[in-house]
Amino acid sequence: MDFELSKEHKMLRKAVRLFAEKKVAPRALELDEKGEFPFDITEEMGRLGLIGLVNSGSYGGNGMGHLARMIVIEELSRVFPSLGVFFQAGNLLMFAIESFGNEDQRKKLLPGLCSGKTISAFAVTEASGGSDPTNMMTTAVRDGHGYTVNGRKTFITNAEVADYLGFLCRTEDKFSVFYVEKGTKGYEVTRREPRPGVRCLPVNELVFADCWLPKDNLIGQEGKGMNATLTTISTIGRTGAAGVALGAMQGAYDGALKFCKERIIYGKPITNLQAIQFALADMNTEIEATRWLCYLAAWMLDRGKSPREMAPEISRAKLHSVDMALKNCIRAQQLMGAYGQSPEYRVEIFLRDALELLTAGGTQEAMRVTIGRSITS
Amino acid sequence: MSYSREIWVYCEVRNGKITKGGMELLGKSVVLGSGIGAKVAAVLVGDEISALAPEAAAYGAEKVYAVEDPKLHCYQSEAYASIIADLIKENKPSIFLFSSTDIGDDLAPRVAAKAGTGLTAHCIELRIEDRDGKPLLHQTVPGWGGSKRIDIICPEKRPQMATVKPGLFDCPVPVYGRPFELLKTKVELSNKLFRAKTIEVHEAPSCELPLEGADIVIAAGWGVCSAGEIDRVRELADVICGALGATRPVTDKGFVPVDRMIGQSGKVVSPKLFISLGASGAMHYTTGFEKAKYVLALDQNPHAAIFGMADVGIVGDIKKTLPLLINELKEMRN
Amino acid sequence: MNLIVCIKQVPDPLYFDRITLDPVTKLVKREGVPLIMNPNDLNAVETALQIKDTYGGKITVLTMGPPQSMEVLEEALALGADEAILLSDRAFAGADAVATSYTLASAIKKFCEFDLILCGYETVDSGTRQVGPQLAEYLDIPHVTGVRSFKIENPEYLIAERRLENGYMKIEVTLPALIAVYNEANDPRIPTVSGIMNMASKSLKTYGLNEVGLISADVGLAGSPTQMAEMSEFKQNRRHEVFQGIPEEIVKQAIARLKELQAI
Repeated sequence: MDFELSKEHKMLRKAVRLFAEKKVAPRALELDEKGEFPFDITEEMGRLGLIGLVNSGSYGGNGMGHLARMIVIEELSRVFPSLGVFFQAGNLLMFAIESFGNEDQRKKLLPGLCSGKTISAFAVTEASGGSDPTNMMTTAVRDGHGYTVNGRKTFITNAEVADYLGFLCRTEDKFSVFYVEKGTKGYEVTRREPRPGVRCLPVNELVFADCWLPKDNLIGQEGKGMNATLTTISTIGRTGAAGVALGAMQGAYDGALKFCKERIIYGKPITNLQAIQFALADMNTEIEATRWLCYLAAWMLDRGKSPREMAPEISRAKLHSVDMALKNCIRAQQLMGAYGQSPEYRVEIFLRDALELLTAGGTQEAMRVTIGRSITS
Repeated sequence: MSYSREIWVYCEVRNGKITKGGMELLGKSVVLGSGIGAKVAAVLVGDEISALAPEAAAYGAEKVYAVEDPKLHCYQSEAYASIIADLIKENKPSIFLFSSTDIGDDLAPRVAAKAGTGLTAHCIELRIEDRDGKPLLHQTVPGWGGSKRIDIICPEKRPQMATVKPGLFDCPVPVYGRPFELLKTKVELSNKLFRAKTIEVHEAPSCELPLEGADIVIAAGWGVCSAGEIDRVRELADVICGALGATRPVTDKGFVPVDRMIGQSGKVVSPKLFISLGASGAMHYTTGFEKAKYVLALDQNPHAAIFGMADVGIVGDIKKTLPLLINELKEMRN
Repeated sequence: MNLIVCIKQVPDPLYFDRITLDPVTKLVKREGVPLIMNPNDLNAVETALQIKDTYGGKITVLTMGPPQSMEVLEEALALGADEAILLSDRAFAGADAVATSYTLASAIKKFCEFDLILCGYETVDSGTRQVGPQLAEYLDIPHVTGVRSFKIENPEYLIAERRLENGYMKIEVTLPALIAVYNEANDPRIPTVSGIMNMASKSLKTYGLNEVGLISADVGLAGSPTQMAEMSEFKQNRRHEVFQGIPEEIVKQAIARLKELQAI
């Protein structure tokens, strides 16, 4: 087994790290404080080719793959987890269209999305629940050469900045996936949720009120939407969340380590103390273990394993990554004492952002359901 | 091929004067030459440049080679290099020194390639030592950011060429009226020598106290700027009539002009007292003030490397300690 | 335009203090020190890429070094260079600036056509600024170093602005020529994913002594007029009298000490 990353993957990591440190790090504090969407950064990421990593070159992507995407999300999250979450949320519709949509849809939406010039979001969750869609109330009813959509979605990341929104809804007694363009009559983003973390990506409530969509906006077959959605969320949303957690944890650890090396108490840096070394050793080990779990899931997707087959792997990666991230982000703050909560030292942001990951791509419990079922059935 | 026992110094001329660096090298050459019975010669290239020959002699040149032409009034890379290489071919000096200025660094390498010899750049020490029975110029350079000292020699090829940063060697006291031999050469200047033609030269004289030759130099490190105390550093410089320098992070951010950056790739200073404020002491910075007689350092980190490079150190917060330092020095002055 | 960029792989300056000197063999030990493309060379590559973006053309990157130097060539290819040449041979080792310039020039004469050669102004390891002018001399072309910016007036010449300590110089240069680019010249780009993916399909050739058509006496240590006589570790000799404590007191004590030493 060759665990060595390819030349290209190593180069990619280096390039993204340079981008993150040069273009993102100097602005992270300000962006987080203002809660503004970083359009110029996402456009730059698109220009570098970072957004369309799992999309085909025929549609403006480059197909470098899921491991490449994992590395990109990790490196960006290490500096500013909001950007990692951008991928976690923004790649969902891109995957759904390429995997389940038709050629016209691909040609229409993907080039802009891959280039970062347009943005997408994906809506599943409703007030009635996210994990269990059976109470879903958003419906699409056949109406002439299209459908009329009615309903309301909640906690949708990026909805208010999205040019295109993909969404899951009921059609008759089954489920279907559609997309709607910003500005379409009857579709409105109604509210922005205040969030403690990932503050520069909006989390919104949106409403469909007799919103008519042409048949062209149906993605895949009518009635086959649940399968498409679950596959999409697993392949893109969960892996994304795992990558963000991994990067955030690494960022928190890096910050704490640097602090400990410089923090002098009783004339010596605290890294001389065994208790500190032990804490750092534990963090270091947990991060490494998480990294390989995440990379394994991504690597296997690149090897052509189907997301259905991969569901337990992916769930393990997300479950472990987010659990470890929360644990280690708190630990990092503890190592820094009061400075751990000071925005100036930049470590507190990782914990706040990691909290969002508890529900991103599915809850931790939903991961346990997937894993548990695969073990016991 | 026998070479003459002459030590040449290329005396760069800026704004109508021989640069301080040139004068320092003449002084050093006299010292080197006295050990091996070598004559010191100045090389001047320019327009009506022989007028500066007495100046060169005052600083130690016994011979002055001058090449004059109106077309040479400002630096022309290939013309100057070709002229100097021809002088070398004709007169075969054994050592040839250049001041490591922007122009010196541009000119000396091409001259070395034309003359088929080697060049050691940015030397911090020069001495002559016997090796296998012949006197060789040992050219010392700092290596790897300053953590090492490397002695370079050029055993076979001649001249042995080296460049030295201005400010490293002592400037000799000039003695005007010394006799010297002036050798003027006329040259044919073909168009080929002007393939890279200097068409404009802009030099803004600095109004602040120059670093070269300053008795006291004060360097502002990043610790000062991040504490917002750069103005106080200027105040300190005023109080004790010191020249202001800075570390790379400070000049990169524009707090202090780039030409006042102190370090291996910037300015090298040799004041009586060097005061380092809020700089941790990276090697390539400390190489810039190695030759200072005394070093005072102030930093808030007791483990900062700078204290290993200081004679007297003060551990303290910049914001608290700097004003106290200024007050003490003000009182002393009064 | 046919462009050539000469680049170099150097130890990362952040880790210079890990470079040690073996007291017995007097050899420099660099194990574990990460290697990078000389930062100033990235400016040269960026300059070439910008020219290619504007005028079209081909960029060849060239380096002389051990086989590991291939990494910097790959980096340049990922950024957008078209082909790469690695000059690697035991015989090339130990070269000083003159021998390096001579080897590079010989390879360029043999394998490349060019309108403009670009290189970095200085390296972080030796920083001598020699290779640019020497390479130009061996190729019999004009050169300008320390270049902050330049404008290509027509295929025949360009006007370059070079730095001076207190200002700048404007120089009119006929092509072909060599430009040594100063680190203020531009902000190097970051490689794109497609650049990284295309890198492996680009030409990267390795040439040794024989392919370049040189003899060992003219290259490497044998062909270097200068050589190292001695290397030693260096530490400044200072008093290290550090005062810690109450600010008012220690400032007074420090100044008193300086007075004793007659430093002020």
